[in-house]
Amino acid sequence: MSSDEDESMSEQEEQTKSGKEDNGSVLDYIMSLESVPSKLPPHLELLKTRVLCKIDAPQHTDTIQYSGAYAALGVDNSIRLDNFRQNFKVQVNRLTEDDIEFDMIGIDPALANAFRRILIAEVPTMAIERIYMANNTSVIQDEVLSHRLGLIPIGADPRLFEYPENAGNEKNEKNTIVFKLHVRCERQQPRITVKSNELKWLPNGSELPSEDIKPNSSSKPKTFTSFSCSQDSLPEFSGNPIAPRNLDIILAKLGPGQEIELEAHAVKGIGRTHAKWSPVATAWYRMLPEVVLLKEVEDELAEELKNKCPVGVFDIEDIGKGRKRATVARPRSCTLCRECIRGGKEWEDRVALRRVKDHFIFTVESTGALPPEVLFTEAVKILEEKCERVITELS
Amino acid sequence: MELGSYSDQSKSTFSLADEDHTIANAVRFTLNQDPRVTFCGYSIPHPSDNRVNIRVQTTGDSAREVLKDACQDLMQMCQHVRSTFDKSVNDYKMSKTVKDMDIK
Amino acid sequence: MDPQPEPVSYICGDCGMENTLKPGDVIQCRECGYRILYKKRTRRSKFCYL
Repeated sequence: MSSDEDESMSEQEEQTKSGKEDNGSVLDYIMSLESVPSKLPPHLELLKTRVLCKIDAPQHTDTIQYSGAYAALGVDNSIRLDNFRQNFKVQVNRLTEDDIEFDMIGIDPALANAFRRILIAEVPTMAIERIYMANNTSVIQDEVLSHRLGLIPIGADPRLFEYPENAGNEKNEKNTIVFKLHVRCERQQPRITVKSNELKWLPNGSELPSEDIKPNSSSKPKTFTSFSCSQDSLPEFSGNPIAPRNLDIILAKLGPGQEIELEAHAVKGIGRTHAKWSPVATAWYRMLPEVVLLKEVEDELAEELKNKCPVGVFDIEDIGKGRKRATVARPRSCTLCRECIRGGKEWEDRVALRRVKDHFIFTVESTGALPPEVLFTEAVKILEEKCERVITELS
Repeated sequence: MELGSYSDQSKSTFSLADEDHTIANAVRFTLNQDPRVTFCGYSIPHPSDNRVNIRVQTTGDSAREVLKDACQDLMQMCQHVRSTFDKSVNDYKMSKTVKDMDIK
Repeated sequence: MDPQPEPVSYICGDCGMENTLKPGDVIQCRECGYRILYKKRTRRSKFCYL
């Protein structure tokens, strides 16, 4: 036995002892030994990390989640937290007032999909839930008009409001936004188009009496809300009055002599209850396309390949002496139409279409209540809250 | 709600009310990453009930603790996602303002 | 014996003109002669939709 090995033995013993407190360091030590393969052989690595898009169907679409999936090869498949922290990346590609596109790299689809589902169904917003119709002589029916009103995005931060269930369904200034809509088309006048800008915010709550007005009572009649103070006296709203996010949504058209008078009450809710509360117009992701030329594609073939692709993934470069070669210039725009691998086996052998399993191009389009980047962080927070709930329930 | 046996705590089914694929699939992922887990899976017994059942079987540790650890892992992953995302957004906004200034 | 019946106002289905009718009156709009008249919506009861 050489002295070198002696040293390494004692080091291992030491590690094992201290490992009682710190499992991670033992694992790290074992992984650092030469005989332990820490990486999969390349053909398995390819199947693990890429979806192979063949002419008839995509292959190897599943993600290998089980920690011991490659135990027989001596490869650890568990993602430990520090590993995840090292590999996870976010790259913002585009950010505007109401949409964002970013790359999320190094995350399992289980999580990416959880974020997407939460964005669509569980991030709260404000939406019109009740309509008090005082008059409607227009051609559009009450229920159709009410439904249209419900779908209008309201430009109010839902985080400043409470769910109506919390107050025992009492409508107060903390959970209800009241709008009034009163439009009339005078006789002998041209038709009127009623747009969402006609919805006027009532910071003092409802103005409609909820019971019959007694002819000689001096007290103010009861209304459908009980606000203890005006909403525009609250610091959140004093500077920026609440209004529909888009002011040009057509609600109805009025002919001469027709009139609509109503009150609309908006409350907080989530998209799972009704899509009108969904804060996103779209929230979706796609996996990063990867286009690889397996062989050199030159001259006329290069020209043919370039013309095959309807989205212009390929480019042609000059390699001198009047010869040309195809290159992959814009793999991101590949829609996986597979047009480039059609036309016989030889094309399938030239071009490989793949998708990277842990690289997601996420697009979130907000309806306007919250900016898209805030929506995403809110979604992640909601997943955290869910975990916390499970943990407290189990403790 | 946990459905298991007192004699063998390494196998249990957990029934989560008011939850769906969102958390069940994510937790299944983190459970699968745990070497102590021999089996895990989830099911939604009926689409009209807001309920998922998560089955956890371990090599010996209490299934309840393993599930709790999985939730903890998921939470820490989320926290990391959030901080990374916020940082990237800030970087993007910064670089954009710099670019805008260059144009002017 | 019956109290004097109050006149009720209706809205013309064609021109939107308000018409006040008493029992026995011809059901016809005074403005345009249209014969379909609608009752006005009550403002009394509680009503809500959606």
